[in-house]
Amino acid sequence: MEQGISTLAPAMIAAWVLVAVGLSALAILLYAALRSRTRPGDLERAVQAFRALDIQAFRNLVDFSEEAFLRDHLPPRKFRAIKRQRAWAAFLYAWEAGRAAAQLAMVGQAAQRSSDPTIAASGAQAAENAFRLRVQTLRAGVILLAGVLLPGLQSRPIPALVDQYERSAETLFLIGRGSSGSRGLEVA
Amino acid sequence: MQWVNWSDALLQFLWVSSNVLLLGLGVVLWRRGLYREFPCFFAYVLFEVAENILLYVLFKTRVSGNHYAYVFAATLLLSIALRFGVIDEVSKNLFRESQFLKVAARRSLQAISGLLLGVGVLLAVLAPGNTSARWFAGVTVVNRGAAMVQTGLLLSFLLFSRFLGMSWRRHAFGITLGLGIMTSVDLATYGLGAEFVSWGWTRFLNLTITGAFFVCTSIWIRYLMVPEPKPLSVTVVPDEEVETWNKEFQHLLRQ
Repeated sequence: MEQGISTLAPAMIAAWVLVAVGLSALAILLYAALRSRTRPGDLERAVQAFRALDIQAFRNLVDFSEEAFLRDHLPPRKFRAIKRQRAWAAFLYAWEAGRAAAQLAMVGQAAQRSSDPTIAASGAQAAENAFRLRVQTLRAGVILLAGVLLPGLQSRPIPALVDQYERSAETLFLIGRGSSGSRGLEVA
Repeated sequence: MQWVNWSDALLQFLWVSSNVLLLGLGVVLWRRGLYREFPCFFAYVLFEVAENILLYVLFKTRVSGNHYAYVFAATLLLSIALRFGVIDEVSKNLFRESQFLKVAARRSLQAISGLLLGVGVLLAVLAPGNTSARWFAGVTVVNRGAAMVQTGLLLSFLLFSRFLGMSWRRHAFGITLGLGIMTSVDLATYGLGAEFVSWGWTRFLNLTITGAFFVCTSIWIRYLMVPEPKPLSVTVVPDEEVETWNKEFQHLLRQ
């Protein structure tokens, strides 16, 4: 009898896990369906999101030489506390940069479908750069979170995030310049 | 008794009307030339129509339970294979505009598929099914595992696209949404079916699955009937604004 109950339990748990997964997936799908109606690309929002980020501050936060300096001149406990704060601040920057990249990707894709080949080409480039940046921010976020949780570990280099960020921002500016001559454009 | 008659009538209505809608969907795909863009989905729709007609005829002619189960199992396995084809088609459509994503997404999806397959196998071991016929229990387990993998993949597409800021084409989104609803309802009903084995529950779950299929077919029709929206218009804004952005970005990036 006891053996029967013990073999039944995993089956019952598995069955309820299936129910939970199925219903959760259904809820996410319905949410996605409702959300899909209200997501227009907005160049202005993308620009504002990029503007709001202080790239220099981010550079300082992830600078190896600064970290080495702090490690050499601070007691270990104090260094770990500061390292944790710096990593968390840099993580927030990466998070926001990622969100800005997602905005830019939407704008880029909208521009990519333009009938004007120049705008379409700029849009494609912007979207491509934005996708790269988004993925880079994810990788950087993982590394930075590791720095928050384990501040004693030697930091790993942030994978070309700053360069990618700059490229995306420059491309965003190029989209702005993409229309005829010296005039800019926005995606309505 | 009255409930049985009522549920029987509803089940047959949903079954037949889903099939009629599917047939209509096939016509829409053909007339709009969408079968070129989604050949696997087109094949899936035609296959489902043929499968449902065959099963309905067998059901009405009251063939033996075993024969019905054999045909049901064979067509189910083919349907699962076609659904994987449709998912592949949707992923190609979603990532087609970005070379970078084609590579990155393929790797991520391979990893997710492996993970989901592992979960499916684990569930198969933990809950091997409760049907008396062993071969049919095997088919059920395969179907459940496939539903798990397919639901996971379709959800991954939605989450990836949201995370990366990707915009869906309306048709591909409709196909994903319909298929996702169908597989997730399948998954939930398999779980309930394993727990509640009474005759009444089985009927109720059959009704739920058929109803979900009806809803999915309606979603496909709805999304595939409506043409793709025109690209967002690009309007020119004053030159000074661009210059202001330029200065802002220069300031932001070079300071």
